[in-house]
Amino acid sequence: MLTVISAGSVYLVNEARDDSKWVVHTIEVENQINTLLLEIRRAESGARGFLLTQGADFKADHDKAVAAVPPALDRINRLTVDNQAQRDNLEKLSAAIQTRLGQFAQEMDFLRQGQPDKSLALVREAAAANTTTTIGSLAAAMIAEEERLFRLRSANADRSQTLAASMTGIGSGLVVLLALISVWLVRRSARARDDAETRLRDANLNLESTVDERTADLREANDEIQRFAYIVSHDLRSPLVNIMGFTSELEELGKDIFRRIGGLTGVPAGGPPVDIADIPLDGPDKQMSADFSEALGFIKSSIARMDRLISAILNLTREGRREFQPEKIDARDFIEAIVSSLAHQAAEAQAEIHIEPLPNIVSDRLALEQIFSNLIDNAIKYLKNGVPGEIRIRGRTKLGYAIFEINDNGRGIDPKDHQRIFDLFRRAGTQDKPGQGIGLAHVRALVRRLGGTMSVSSELNAGSTFTITLPISWNASNRNADK
Amino acid sequence: MTLPVTIIMIEDDEGHARLIERNIRRSGVNNEIVSFTNGTDAMMHLFGADGSGLVQKGNALLILLDLNLPDMSGIDILKQIKENKYLKASPVVVLTTTDDSQEIKRCYELGCNVYITKPVNYENFANAIRQLGLFFSVIQVPPAAS
Repeated sequence: MLTVISAGSVYLVNEARDDSKWVVHTIEVENQINTLLLEIRRAESGARGFLLTQGADFKADHDKAVAAVPPALDRINRLTVDNQAQRDNLEKLSAAIQTRLGQFAQEMDFLRQGQPDKSLALVREAAAANTTTTIGSLAAAMIAEEERLFRLRSANADRSQTLAASMTGIGSGLVVLLALISVWLVRRSARARDDAETRLRDANLNLESTVDERTADLREANDEIQRFAYIVSHDLRSPLVNIMGFTSELEELGKDIFRRIGGLTGVPAGGPPVDIADIPLDGPDKQMSADFSEALGFIKSSIARMDRLISAILNLTREGRREFQPEKIDARDFIEAIVSSLAHQAAEAQAEIHIEPLPNIVSDRLALEQIFSNLIDNAIKYLKNGVPGEIRIRGRTKLGYAIFEINDNGRGIDPKDHQRIFDLFRRAGTQDKPGQGIGLAHVRALVRRLGGTMSVSSELNAGSTFTITLPISWNASNRNADK
Repeated sequence: MTLPVTIIMIEDDEGHARLIERNIRRSGVNNEIVSFTNGTDAMMHLFGADGSGLVQKGNALLILLDLNLPDMSGIDILKQIKENKYLKASPVVVLTTTDDSQEIKRCYELGCNVYITKPVNYENFANAIRQLGLFFSVIQVPPAAS
């Protein structure tokens, strides 16, 4: 828009300048015509003066004026190339001037020959033939034409100047308007930005407090769950003691009853008293006794299993409440100690354990011991049958975290079970090894409490790699301060 | 002559109480056993209406105490027994399901004489009680201070 306006005003200013040039041109043409007329008059008056006085001064003046006429004509000719009407006029004027100049020359000739009468007569003839008048009227016509052109052109020039001026005015007005609009826009966007900034700051503060709140809620919920698990598992034990106790009592009672039955049925009446225990049961009674024992056996083994599960939960909640004591741990010595404590199992499973360079960390020794011994124990436990085991323990550091990997060439874990193996009481794969499904759940809980993460990558029959990421320097305040 | 020792059993679970009693009897201990299923009644019996413990003056007592009681904590009862001048000489056997080492330590600090965890494995439980019975039969329980 501004470009259009400035281009327009440049164009208009050029136009105005052109127009003024034409005005100047017209004035110049007029000027030249006047000069020409003046020269002719001077020539005429010089000639007359010379005629009357025979003075050399007049003669010189006349000659000079005559000499000046053709260049003046020439100039006018050059200036009026653009105007046909003026050219026609000029041609006529030139012819008239040539005639007059010829007359001048004749007059001078006569005078030189000492015949002033003849030149006088010529002067009169010239006057009679109106040569001078013709010149005057032609010049007047040309001047009139130029006057007309002058008026036209000055009107033109005025108009284009006015246009240019108004264009410039509009342009300036627009510039000012645009400037005002942009100032307003800039201020508005600045205000909007300030508002947004304020809102963002508020939101940030809110977010922080929300996060704090949520964290506190979560912590409370977590504590609640721990207490709950503790109380539940604890209180579940009481009835279990009774069930187990009275089941055992029943078992004793059952033995007594069946002994009694044996005694009643097996001993012939009237015979000598025999030890009841020695009397074998027969037929259906024996079957009953066996059924009775079987039922009690299932009850007892279920109770034992339930007790193990409850103990596991109790241990987990107890672990969850233990305060960690961070200390500097030389990872290699530490892992070697664990490996040597598992050396017997490893030898039995024909497994070789390689320890690669490990980063030292600051953490809770007991927790780390449980984490690594569980994982290494698992690696030994779940090797492929008939394949010599190869277990590697690797370590590296990254961005303040130590990453440990326990890699084996064992039976591997189906990817669909990768989540499940970390759940409490859940196991995966062939169930040919004793276990409660607690180890990995426990390990993961510990890793989390130590501010780390753990993951597994494994394929069936292609070994497993458990990766543990722990902060290199675990700070007790991380968690203890939270409590 | 020594006064016969009375066994005070404070146990909210009647099944446990019955099992304990049976096993004590099996081990040949025939002392009188007084059972309470809540803390309030037991406290009333031990300390009397005035709470001074004077009612038990001169009696020889052996206290079996469960820590999880419906109305109060067994730890509190233990503490009050050991702080009472008439009762503090009476042996206290804590019998509970908790095997939390912190709690065991706490009980010993408060003056408990024996701490027994009730195992779910009945054989172990029965053994523990029977041994306790043997223990009862050989220990000399002093009468409450006169």
